[in-house]
Amino acid sequence: MSRLAWMLDKFAAAPDKPFIIWRDEAYRYGWLLEEVRHWQSRLAAAGVLPGQIVTVEGDYAPTTVALLLALLEQQAIIVPLTDSVEAHKPEFRQIAEAQVIIDFKQDAAGSITHIPATVTNPLLQTLLAAGAPGLVLFSSGSTGKSKAALHNFDFLLKKFQHPRHTFVTLTFLLLDHIGGINTLLYTLANTGTIVSIDNRDPFAVCRAIETHRVELLPTSPTFLNLLLLSEAYTRFDLSSLRRITYGTEVMPERVLARIHDILPAVELQQTYGLSELGILRSRSEAPDSLWIKVGGEGFETKIVDNILWIRAESAMMGYLNAPAPFDADGWFNTGDAVEVKGEYIKILGRRSEIINVGGQKVYPVEVESVLLALPNVRDVAVSGEANPITGQTVVARFNLIEPEPLPEFRKRMREFCRDRLAAYKIPARIEIVTEEQYSQRYKKMRRREV
Amino acid sequence: MTMERDTLTGIILASVREFAQMSDKAQGHDLAALDEKTRLFGGSGLLDSLGLVSVLMDVEQQVNDSQGTAITIADERAMSQERSPFRSVGSLTDYVLTLLHEQGA
Repeated sequence: MSRLAWMLDKFAAAPDKPFIIWRDEAYRYGWLLEEVRHWQSRLAAAGVLPGQIVTVEGDYAPTTVALLLALLEQQAIIVPLTDSVEAHKPEFRQIAEAQVIIDFKQDAAGSITHIPATVTNPLLQTLLAAGAPGLVLFSSGSTGKSKAALHNFDFLLKKFQHPRHTFVTLTFLLLDHIGGINTLLYTLANTGTIVSIDNRDPFAVCRAIETHRVELLPTSPTFLNLLLLSEAYTRFDLSSLRRITYGTEVMPERVLARIHDILPAVELQQTYGLSELGILRSRSEAPDSLWIKVGGEGFETKIVDNILWIRAESAMMGYLNAPAPFDADGWFNTGDAVEVKGEYIKILGRRSEIINVGGQKVYPVEVESVLLALPNVRDVAVSGEANPITGQTVVARFNLIEPEPLPEFRKRMREFCRDRLAAYKIPARIEIVTEEQYSQRYKKMRRREV
Repeated sequence: MTMERDTLTGIILASVREFAQMSDKAQGHDLAALDEKTRLFGGSGLLDSLGLVSVLMDVEQQVNDSQGTAITIADERAMSQERSPFRSVGSLTDYVLTLLHEQGA
């Protein structure tokens, strides 16, 4: 029985349609179908057995997509590892109890190596007993140790069987990220086209949108802020864009409003996803509104003490290297603080990032949103710092466009904030930094107190 | 470079004036007539706790910027002093000079 017959049949019906534009070259669905068959025979010849745990090591490439599908067909447990985690690869292979390494870094065609490993993790054993394929995703570990989320791949695939509209979609998220997997599966299931780019500079992204007539841009607020600052949108024709989705972090209101001004015809949609749960469908109240409805089929939500909890059919089975984060009834505490208005919610920020100044709560993104409007500011990250008088104080670290002496900048910032922020929200300490304050996945990194 | 007491007092007074403007507690005080005896915090003090924190961090950053030091004014040590170094402009000046002296500045 072929697990992906429904998807492969669609490929066969659209052989001339490109499934991916990679390094500016189109690869078509007919090619993909052949490449999947090619991988199936290669895996068989190399003695890779159904149900084995296989790492796929390398960045986005057409053949990696084919390999992923071939592995799914033979019920493998797939562990995508990109070059960005190079230093952690041995550790990650061990956590996942990998038995086969397929590496594209040395050999673009992929080299297959067997390593002796016995499956001892109870979650992996349960998945194997169920006869389902798996996916292991490592969290970025920017706030501590990387956690390995194990998913039953059948649950992730299920929602894509319902046909939906297809788009030409640009992606810079890779296959080791729930958002990257989601974009890929959505596109393939509806025979759309992915435009994959290595260079995430705003100019490179805008050039790719113009050249390949991209319709859908899934991205993050941090990238959209860089796009505004670069003014790259003035240099390229972005008229093909129909929708921009943004997620992974809280959107500063000001960035959203400006994107809406610049691209008024583009639908702006917030997404909400977590590597533990998958991506939820969401609907924004208005294009320039941060109020969203989340949920949809397979997801239930509830709010306890202003924190969003979710129960999802597509939830991971658990972490391979940490205790299960679900309560007895299967609810997951997202750790995101929200405000509620009827059926809509607004994500305020991570509960762990809330700053408490003398009992008053400060959400970093609210302060950042104001500070981004201050002239000469390119980026800013706000966090809390311990203080013996008020418990915590607000600290802001700025990246400036042009160099400016700290005392003058501090004075200017305070004057600017006076009418725009309550006194307790105005940063008490500021720093000017030169290193970028976002991750490779374009997500803001706020410092935590040790 | 040694910091003169008068220079430091000037920095503190300017900072207190700026933040006192935002505090209800400063109502009725003549902000032009502040001096070393001016009470900062507690009782008839000019500042609320947030204002005090703002002044302390502002002074700390200005001093560190100009002296190349890394003093911390508000910490457990300051809080555990028998008499609070933050009660008046003068006592704060003394305390900051002590911290600077310890750092050899």
